[in-house]
Amino acid sequence: MAHLRTCITKMAVWSRLACLGSVSRGHRTLSIFSSSSPSNWTKVVSDAEKIVGYPTSFMSLRCLLSDELSNVAMHVRKLVGTKHPLLNTARGFVYDSKHNLQMRGLVVLLMSKAAGPSSTTPDALLPDMVSGIYPSQRNLAEITELIHTAFLVHRGIVNLKDWTFSDGPLKEMQFGNKMAILSGDFLLANACTGLAQLNNTKVVELISSAIGDLVQGVYHENSSSTEEGSLSLASWEDQTFLSHGALLAKSCQAAMELARHNTEAQMLAYQYGKHLALGHTLNLDLQPFLKSSSDPTVFSLESAPVVFHRLIVGPERWLHQLQQSQSTTKQTDYSKLQRLIKTEQGVSQAADLCSYHGNKALEAIRLFPPSEARSALENIASAVMKF
Amino acid sequence: MAAPWRVYRSRSGAVSGFVRAVWTGRTGAAAEEGLYEAEVLVPVRPVRNAVRPNSFTRYRNRFLYPTPRICCCRIHSDTKLKDPFSLVQKDLQNLYEDIKKLLVSKAELKALCDYYFDGKGKAFRPMIVVLMARACNIHSNRQGDLLPAQRSIAMISEMIHTASLVHDDVIDGSDTRRGKTTINEVWGERKAILAGDFILSAASMALARIGNNAVVSVLSQVVEDLVRGEFMQLGSKENENERFKHYLEKTFKKTASLIANSCKAVSILVNSDPEVHEIAYQYGRNVGIAFQLVDDVLDFTSCANHLGKPSAADLKLGLATGPVLFACQQFPELHAMIMRRFGSDGDVDRAWRYVLQSDGVEQTNYLAQRYCQEAIRQISRLRPSTERDALIRLTELVLSRDK
Repeated sequence: MAHLRTCITKMAVWSRLACLGSVSRGHRTLSIFSSSSPSNWTKVVSDAEKIVGYPTSFMSLRCLLSDELSNVAMHVRKLVGTKHPLLNTARGFVYDSKHNLQMRGLVVLLMSKAAGPSSTTPDALLPDMVSGIYPSQRNLAEITELIHTAFLVHRGIVNLKDWTFSDGPLKEMQFGNKMAILSGDFLLANACTGLAQLNNTKVVELISSAIGDLVQGVYHENSSSTEEGSLSLASWEDQTFLSHGALLAKSCQAAMELARHNTEAQMLAYQYGKHLALGHTLNLDLQPFLKSSSDPTVFSLESAPVVFHRLIVGPERWLHQLQQSQSTTKQTDYSKLQRLIKTEQGVSQAADLCSYHGNKALEAIRLFPPSEARSALENIASAVMKF
Repeated sequence: MAAPWRVYRSRSGAVSGFVRAVWTGRTGAAAEEGLYEAEVLVPVRPVRNAVRPNSFTRYRNRFLYPTPRICCCRIHSDTKLKDPFSLVQKDLQNLYEDIKKLLVSKAELKALCDYYFDGKGKAFRPMIVVLMARACNIHSNRQGDLLPAQRSIAMISEMIHTASLVHDDVIDGSDTRRGKTTINEVWGERKAILAGDFILSAASMALARIGNNAVVSVLSQVVEDLVRGEFMQLGSKENENERFKHYLEKTFKKTASLIANSCKAVSILVNSDPEVHEIAYQYGRNVGIAFQLVDDVLDFTSCANHLGKPSAADLKLGLATGPVLFACQQFPELHAMIMRRFGSDGDVDRAWRYVLQSDGVEQTNYLAQRYCQEAIRQISRLRPSTERDALIRLTELVLSRDK
């Protein structure tokens, strides 16, 4: 009972934090997922959640309720009014839970269920399965979410040398960094111990390599704008795979390994995860370009339509267009830039590529035997191709 | 003035100044198995007597002959004591080169990851791990030769250590480390954190490739302890008794857990006897705590730049380490300063002076000696070997190091 009460208190801390976060006008938002996903997507996801038995957020919940992270939550309030990214990430823990934040875990669970027990599984192990999913696979799904969340947090570490007065007091930005480092490390450490408990060193190796991929992907995010020479479609795909695809692909593969499925099943699961993640990223990147033009949206210059546009027009014209859409105060007029980008094929190329990856994901999942879980995974892949 | 945390007096009259208290806090992997209750040496104000070291000089040969009631305690009489460093030299050759081979990444990230594996580190952890591995191998009726997996553990221990240093430097805002500009200072905080994460992921992959679930589990515990230790460092305890316990627990998690669990891992790889694992773990745990206690002393006694970091660095970070906690018993004025984490003007200087006026430094050194004695008692339960004796000698080096 007392334990329950502490839990409730801790939950209250987080939800209060979420409210505080929404008041601040944090600018450096981590727009990994836009909150404007199509309602279709939300429906697909909530339908799918019913199939896997219970929602996937339990591991994250356990971490959120730990003394360590509750402490961070108390401290993060000090950041209100600053532009430290941790504030928005923390808000996301609570608010974005129905928006994709747990998407990876859900896909891992559906994939586990779609594949079912392997033919070599002794019957004695079958009763362990809940809703057709092994406990180890549920743990894996949670670990995947932990790792993903850890990097949402570590992505938001600020270089203090770039600090400007408008960010908020330097001391608080330092403090924000400290909290971000510690909470990210805490989530990663929990992922490490969770992995060890799976008692499968192949899975440990696979997921550790996914962490390495993710680091490399995040490390090189926002760097292609400076290295114009290395810009290409292939390098965009490689980079996006590392930062957005590797974790899902390798977690899907690991879910097969945990059920002792053969290499072929593992590769299919990997392919599904990879292509779904790439399709999903492209879909999100396209969102700002598909809305009505009256609604000015800020978009990343690293997003797929912009990168493809830059490849089409070449570096000189791109530079010219950038200058064109900048006012005298060096502020970028995004609606103007958007109009310029829309005159070329970058947007449609990105849409085509999105369909390509969505279809590749469908192809992979359709090689699994038909089931409710498989249909859910097909629906998710199809939703990724809809705008 | 009797300290409030006294539990019962040590039976050994020689150990004046200390009582043993049973600390029921869970410590690491061993506690998980319910094998023992961690015994922590909790200091009380010393009775000024002959046993108390009267200067900072450490005794050269004090620990070479542990008490005779322990079996296998005699040092090989026919072998000359070998320097631990020269014993492992061959095994640790190319250690850094091999670590760098594990850090596969592109361009700039690679440079960040390799930055501290420049061969200029002490490789203190790999050295203990290799000696422990060889000592356990001989104990287990094998040749002393190192197994490849044991050498991997030596590399992994150094990698985990380095990854945590990189993150600590960002958290503490340090600008130099081992006489080098820190990664965060050169490349910025964001990239430094990612480099630390990358080193950890490479270590985790290497660990998995050993293919032993028990070993994976033991070293994953280290990663969790490191973070929990860092969290513990955020808070101060009001109660003096709790404060010391908190300090020792933090010291275990931040420093000793890595050494203890790496030692345990190499023993698991060669021997299935849990008692041997426990000896390895306890040796590492005790040496690790002693190592950190000495480190905390050096923060007060070593002149700037000698340690690769400025002195009184801990005070400046708001941290109350052993010497301060002891000094606080003599100078209660320190209590308020500890609670405000030396945040008021002049606190650092004042605290520094109090510590040097008190016998906080001696007491911390003395505590470190006690931990080393316990380490020796543990390791002496292994069958005699050159490497085992080097581990005994190593405790001396831990106590006498001045940087």
